[in-house]
Amino acid sequence: MATKKRNQKREPVFKAQVVNLTVNGQVHALEMGSGPGDIEPFHTLSHTLRETLGLTGTKISCDNGACGACTVLIDGKAMLSCMTLTIECDGKNVTTIEGLGDPKTGMVDTLQQSFIDHTAFQCGFCTPGMIMSAKALLSENPSPTEEEVKEGLSGNFCRCISHYHVVKAVLAASEK
Amino acid sequence: MRSFTHINAQTIEEVCSLLEKYKGKAALNAGGTDLLGVLKDEILPDYPEVVINIKTIAGLDSITESKRGFTIGSLVKLSDIANSPLIKERYPVLAEAARSVATPQIRNAATIGGNLCQDVRCWYYRYPRHIGGPIQCLRKGSGPCLAVRGDNRYHAIMEGKKCFAVCPSDTAVALAALDATIHVVGPEGSRNIAIDDFFGPLSNAIRPNEIVKEIAVPALSSSTNQKYIKFTLRKPVDFAIVSVASVVAMENGVCTDARIALGAVAPGPVRARTAEDMLKGKAVSETSVAAAAELALSVAKPLSMNSYKIEIAKTLIKRALLGGDECQ
Amino acid sequence: MKDKYRFIGKVVPRLDASEIVAGRAKFLNDIKLQDMLYGKVLRSPYPHALIKKVDKKKALKLPGVKAILTWEDVPDWKGGTPRYTRILDHKVRYVGDAVALVAATNEEIAKEALRLIEVDYEVLPAVFDMEKALEPDAPQLYDEFPGNIVTPGVPFFGPKSLQDVVMGDTEKGFAEADIITEGTFGYENIPNPLPPEPPGAIGLWEEPNKLTLWVSNQASYMDKITLFHVMGRKVEVRSIGGPCGGSFGSKFMSWQVQTYAALLSKATGKPVKLVFTKEEHLAAFTVRPSSRMRARVGMKKDGTVTAVSGQWLIDTGYYSMTTQSQVAVGCGEVQIMVRCPNWDLKPVIVCTNRNASGIVRGFGGQELKCILIPLLSLAMEKLDIDPFEFLKKHYVKPGDGYFWRDGIWYTYRGVDYSPAMDKGAEAFCWKEKWKGWLTPTSIHGSKQRGVGVGVHGNADIGEDASEAYVRLHPDGTAMLFSCVTEHGTGQRSNYAKMVAEVLQLPLENVSITPSDSLINPYEFGPAGSRGTYAIGSAVIRAAEDAKKKLFELMAPKFQTEPGDLDTSDGMVFVRDNPEKKIAWKGMSIDRTITGFGRFEPDYTLTNCMMSFVEVEVDTETGKVDLVNVVNATDAGKIIDPQGLEGQLNGCLGSAGIDSAIFEETILDRSSGHTLNANMIDYKWRTFSELPVIKNVVLETPFPSHRFHAVGIGEVATSPGPSAVLMAVSNAIGVWLHEYPVTPEKVLKALGKISSRNQKGGTQ
Repeated sequence: MATKKRNQKREPVFKAQVVNLTVNGQVHALEMGSGPGDIEPFHTLSHTLRETLGLTGTKISCDNGACGACTVLIDGKAMLSCMTLTIECDGKNVTTIEGLGDPKTGMVDTLQQSFIDHTAFQCGFCTPGMIMSAKALLSENPSPTEEEVKEGLSGNFCRCISHYHVVKAVLAASEK
Repeated sequence: MRSFTHINAQTIEEVCSLLEKYKGKAALNAGGTDLLGVLKDEILPDYPEVVINIKTIAGLDSITESKRGFTIGSLVKLSDIANSPLIKERYPVLAEAARSVATPQIRNAATIGGNLCQDVRCWYYRYPRHIGGPIQCLRKGSGPCLAVRGDNRYHAIMEGKKCFAVCPSDTAVALAALDATIHVVGPEGSRNIAIDDFFGPLSNAIRPNEIVKEIAVPALSSSTNQKYIKFTLRKPVDFAIVSVASVVAMENGVCTDARIALGAVAPGPVRARTAEDMLKGKAVSETSVAAAAELALSVAKPLSMNSYKIEIAKTLIKRALLGGDECQ
Repeated sequence: MKDKYRFIGKVVPRLDASEIVAGRAKFLNDIKLQDMLYGKVLRSPYPHALIKKVDKKKALKLPGVKAILTWEDVPDWKGGTPRYTRILDHKVRYVGDAVALVAATNEEIAKEALRLIEVDYEVLPAVFDMEKALEPDAPQLYDEFPGNIVTPGVPFFGPKSLQDVVMGDTEKGFAEADIITEGTFGYENIPNPLPPEPPGAIGLWEEPNKLTLWVSNQASYMDKITLFHVMGRKVEVRSIGGPCGGSFGSKFMSWQVQTYAALLSKATGKPVKLVFTKEEHLAAFTVRPSSRMRARVGMKKDGTVTAVSGQWLIDTGYYSMTTQSQVAVGCGEVQIMVRCPNWDLKPVIVCTNRNASGIVRGFGGQELKCILIPLLSLAMEKLDIDPFEFLKKHYVKPGDGYFWRDGIWYTYRGVDYSPAMDKGAEAFCWKEKWKGWLTPTSIHGSKQRGVGVGVHGNADIGEDASEAYVRLHPDGTAMLFSCVTEHGTGQRSNYAKMVAEVLQLPLENVSITPSDSLINPYEFGPAGSRGTYAIGSAVIRAAEDAKKKLFELMAPKFQTEPGDLDTSDGMVFVRDNPEKKIAWKGMSIDRTITGFGRFEPDYTLTNCMMSFVEVEVDTETGKVDLVNVVNATDAGKIIDPQGLEGQLNGCLGSAGIDSAIFEETILDRSSGHTLNANMIDYKWRTFSELPVIKNVVLETPFPSHRFHAVGIGEVATSPGPSAVLMAVSNAIGVWLHEYPVTPEKVLKALGKISSRNQKGGTQ
């Protein structure tokens, strides 16, 4: 991206002018600023992913850290992107729902396929966050018990009550 | 959120000088799980001009053990405390308290310093601007407390004064039972604040330009039974309605030391010292514990809608000390 | 009997499964249009006030602000029933009521503009209790509603639209009773169905009187119709629906957010997206109606109900969108549940200064059952009648009749649900667990268990009309034209299955049009469990009509009658001589064939769900845990097993069972604030505390359509709450009649806390 000229203002200089963020394996050098495509200090990671990078798979539901819909992996950990400032993500490695499976062939991964096979969703709005939480769980605990699955997903809100199917799907994916 | 300037701090000294420079118009951001909600809902009269990221300060995220006990850096994540072999083995009340907080995603971001310093959850205090708020009150500088005459089902049953919001922190309760000290650093130097002195009805004891560096927990002189029991309507997500942390040392069936801290009943964790004294030297039995629980809650002055907390607190004390039916 | 179906009843991945799990499904807030602006709403801090002055000068100067609208800037568009609630008014009627609309280049600028708008209010006294609102000196919300009584408006369901349940002679009925019980019962916790996706809309004016709306709803076609009326019948609305992140009825009430987006688009000439925050969703969008009943019931020793009389007060919040229709349906549903010849039940709808109640799964029937079943239980207890036997005895049987919502008498011609109920009772071990009224099932230390049962069903499974086209293509594929959005039930996939079954096409060769009102015929929408029977019938008829036309066209090529032909996998063949076959291409490649199907309303079939619940009460803390649930029903024919199970599991969602345990919208009734408008203080069921749920589904063929199926999803939430109240009362041996059964209420009932007089409390 071309460097923009910046008006001289009497504000302290940002410590970070560019935020280097890797999302689904692709490196983005996101410039701080107020133009289109820039990052403002108050932008949350969920906003950046959805609006700046066009990755709308991550959903915003409560936007206040209480429902898990916006869950992504940051350096492998399940984190709430709506409660994360993009400006604080310099050097981080983010995985969103779009980063699972193979983008070239459109094939989904084992966990996603298990969600399909068990119809582990109804309206589907909470599903991306649900899958990312499950992904984080399985990476730390590849063979969880049913209780451990439930605890791992305890921060994810689903109102259609796909819970029972989700638990089955995650357990099925974990045995493979 | 409204705009602010963002600074990644590199040292504690830098933080203190920034806090002094911005005179109340700067906010510290650790895990962000509390601050971002406060900013999004615009509940406070003043919005910070500057947000200082303290996660970029090195050296605040370790757990260190010594003969005198252990220290936890203020930036240690709750998930790390919950999973720490050292803390799980020797100070399980703290590990359980950390594990009981919120949800896995929150625990991956939230820090112990943030958990201790988080703002209260009174729903009048927290009423968002964009649905007809915010609601002004004494805690915000001026105005009547709407909770006193309103819906105070989750508010304090003791020690409230001008503000009746409870301290929402689970780790605070465990640390109170462990006699922890909070080490803060300011422009004038550093000081230790005993956890008993840390919380107050209108604010905590941190001065405007200070930052929490670490928490020191003294070693326990003998082996102890430790429990953290948190009563909520739901297991994850919820803040405590009532909680109890207990650390009890026994010898030949007799209690040699008892520490009982009550959570979510007051503006800070409350050590039930008279009840503790009553138990010392006695056998821990249904009778002695029931009497201790009664004594612990005898100072309660409930508001119009929260007297039920008294009964629940008594039950939690009994279960913490005697074992039996768990609440979670 | 061997299942002859290729797709129906088989587990098949949902058509939208891949896009959902890969994050490709585009919900409303994922849509971005060129030059799109963002809308925000300024909301009132007072529960009741006149707007004296709005100063928007400062806000208009903010760079990026493109429009600010107040009541003086907008046309006199109105919604509600009757249509008196202005889109923006000079009066605000609840904390959170809309005062002004802002459109700006991004959301943050729009929010900044809200801060800069200065409003002078003249605060008026407010009223929050439905009975206080009826008192002569109560603050009046509308000039048009004297006494705050919401009048029927244009009858939803025709001139005899059901407004009460009145029949027979209640005096005589009470005289015949062996026992009479009475009391006041409430279901007043106003839970929120709370779909994960907040409400929102995108509006764009194509021409001065042509509006395109992107909506999130169950029934995008109905949005077009609703807004046509709101906008004074002068605007042609095209409504485009996509995947909807949950609705549970509530998004039928999206006229305000849709009209806000439309008004801002008109004012700016640009598309405008307006999406509520979760706080607005909880404080300023659809919640359940609040219900209070003072009634008497007469019952005989054998469980016959001889009379029911009383007043059913419904608090609809600051306006009624469709509450009259919920009352009508509730009145119908109660007759399906209780066979009584003498009724005098009079509903009164009241408005108060809080956020509006509206369409929620359960639709009036849940609200009424939650207060009627406790009253019936009092009588059952006195006569020592098993509630399962009572509900089974009373549930509508083939040949029984009821007044449905249009005030017309219908005779039920469906299946007897008793076998399903028996199977449910067996799966739950009801006989072993039921120990009698106010008697725990088991006691272990401080934990006491109790059981309860509830039932619900509606005759709306054949409500309203639906239309569909099915178009056949020479390449052996088919397209279904239906204005149905996917909001969680999986029905779009099920309709594809039905088309595929009729035409015997591989499922991947059937597609469905986008839910766009411009290109699809009339569709009331999947609601009230009508999707399977009503919409299904239209879809099936369209497919059959297309098939008939195909055979009529192709018959000459075979030199035979159309009736001798059949089709499979895109090949037409002679049934008795399958070797004689011609591919669909034989219709000619410059041709398509379109079949049409329409369903006319039919109120002679009902569905039914019976829910058995087992709770465990901790008598030392008051906590209530839901341990076991069994749902029992008969679906006629299961179209999709996993989809159906998901719907039945849904009893834990959408302000259902958990409205008896921990769900409530907490209103401060002196200041008018909704105190728990966030996802921590509004309580919802988590993974950590899932009860064991068993779903028992019988398949007794219904006289519905080709597949003999009926719908069941909507009623899943409704039997639960009263069953929980029953179970907790039985567990602790004390009647509990208030929802939800919080620890405080349980401890009080057990005598473990002294109730202090509260001054100025909010309850």
